[in-house]
Amino acid sequence: MQEKIATLSEAIELVGDGQVVALQNMATQAAPMALVRELIRQQKRDLALIVLVGGMAVDWLAAAGVIDRLIGAAVSMEQFGLCRQYRYAVEAGRIKVEELSESVLNARLGAGARNLPFLPTRGAIGTDLIARNPDNLKMLDDPFGGHPVLACRALVPDVALVHAHRADRYGNVQYEPTILWPDIGIMPMAAKRVIVTAEEIVDTEILRRNPDRTRLPGFIVDAVVEVPYGAHPTSFFPNYTYDSGFHREWAEAARDRATATAFIDRYVRTPSSQQEYVDAVGDVSELSTIQTAEHSG
Amino acid sequence: MTTDWQSSPVATDYAVDELMITTLAGLFKNGDQACNGMASFIPVSAFMLARLTHAPDLVWLASAAGLDPRPDRVPASTLEAPLWRDSVMYIEQYGDFWNLALNGRWIQKFCVGAAQLDRYGNANNSVIGDDYDRPQVRLPGTAGLADMGSIGKQLYFWNPNHSPRSLVEKVDFISAAGYLDGGDARERLGLEGGPEVVITNLAVMDFHPVSKQMRLQSVHPGVTVATVQKATGFELLMPEGSVPETAPPTEAQVRLIREVIDPDNMRKRGFRGG
Repeated sequence: MQEKIATLSEAIELVGDGQVVALQNMATQAAPMALVRELIRQQKRDLALIVLVGGMAVDWLAAAGVIDRLIGAAVSMEQFGLCRQYRYAVEAGRIKVEELSESVLNARLGAGARNLPFLPTRGAIGTDLIARNPDNLKMLDDPFGGHPVLACRALVPDVALVHAHRADRYGNVQYEPTILWPDIGIMPMAAKRVIVTAEEIVDTEILRRNPDRTRLPGFIVDAVVEVPYGAHPTSFFPNYTYDSGFHREWAEAARDRATATAFIDRYVRTPSSQQEYVDAVGDVSELSTIQTAEHSG
Repeated sequence: MTTDWQSSPVATDYAVDELMITTLAGLFKNGDQACNGMASFIPVSAFMLARLTHAPDLVWLASAAGLDPRPDRVPASTLEAPLWRDSVMYIEQYGDFWNLALNGRWIQKFCVGAAQLDRYGNANNSVIGDDYDRPQVRLPGTAGLADMGSIGKQLYFWNPNHSPRSLVEKVDFISAAGYLDGGDARERLGLEGGPEVVITNLAVMDFHPVSKQMRLQSVHPGVTVATVQKATGFELLMPEGSVPETAPPTEAQVRLIREVIDPDNMRKRGFRGG
């Protein structure tokens, strides 16, 4: 098996300006934030971002001018509010949104993964999402005589960015028993390249003890980087919960372009490694109480 | 499980969020399947209340993912791990959840919060303004709602701020199909299900069976029909006869909500002054 170990810098050098990047994320959960920070540090430009439900990652990428298109179902930090920098950029016309429902996004990625021109769904029929997106969504007569369905054109990301609990050096990727959102279930299979950060890189022997927990086979993975707290400030169950204070601090900074930029300078552009980032954030160890809090009963 | 909920007297001390929760809970029956999305404190409280009272076998997919969870209380997020505590199963999303949801046999009822809702129950969570590419306000986006509006679900809307801004003549963007332009518009597209009920901080509405226009069903105690109409951006249909009052919660329901289900008052979020 080929070794896939890389640094954050080497991994993100695989992403080219203008590419379509699929990002694991669910509001305040499970985003590969170390990779997001590296996209900003390397000053990527004109990326299209695919998210199921994007959170702070989308807001940072919007504030830093990295993305000019968003393909996704929603963007929100839930209890911490709308992503303001993203919102302002859309309202100013700097980011173009291709809004899709979840089943439509899944169909587009599913078609991409299976090398089909499209997959149909019944979701979103009757909505304005269809008229807004004639290049990718078309009503289609059922060839077997039933009601029309919505044909969703294949979507093939140039690269998928995901975070995982552990991986081996060959890029075999394991998740602990957890909620598996569609971005883990389909984005990496649809993408041309896959970049993974993992809380820990382990010996393959460790993976062999629980092969049912291995979700991505190493042969589809291009780079794997060990990044403890790689999803911070989003949660990564069962390892750690979301960082409320950090989310609030960003939500406040994001009200204004200057304070947003200062925040990103401080936490994203200045730290040159994950350790320096964690040091800048402060004590993150208390976030790890999630496991005992959720399982002790 | 409390046993006194049926014989408990009607509450005099309750807040409108508690009334909305008991009203919504009453729509879920034993054996139904329910799921919730983000920032859904009213539905989550309603599911928990139903499970503690009249519908102990209500199946709940917390965050549309954690089957039959036992959260200790309503947490600060309805899309984070504390809500899935002690789940029987983690339902994988891409395949399993959407196989269950799109199938049509299961998860027949879906609770929706919408920034705008119009007289035909079309919902908007996408953009405010006429220009989609340069909107006045970019809202979060439709998420799974656009699916739920088109796949035969009964949609139950909740709205903590009944106003002409949230209940509008015509939505700026249809993020989820209601009855479109009314009548048989849904049937013509082959769509089943649709909006059933709208529960706000002032009243409960349903939809006329033929015209599909929104119709006042009941006003909350202390609220007048005129107040509801004034707070609505279009003319509501009136029920036959006098407009009834929404049934208030019982003392036992209020106690369960305050002491067991949501002692941290998460349900008040989204309400003015909450």
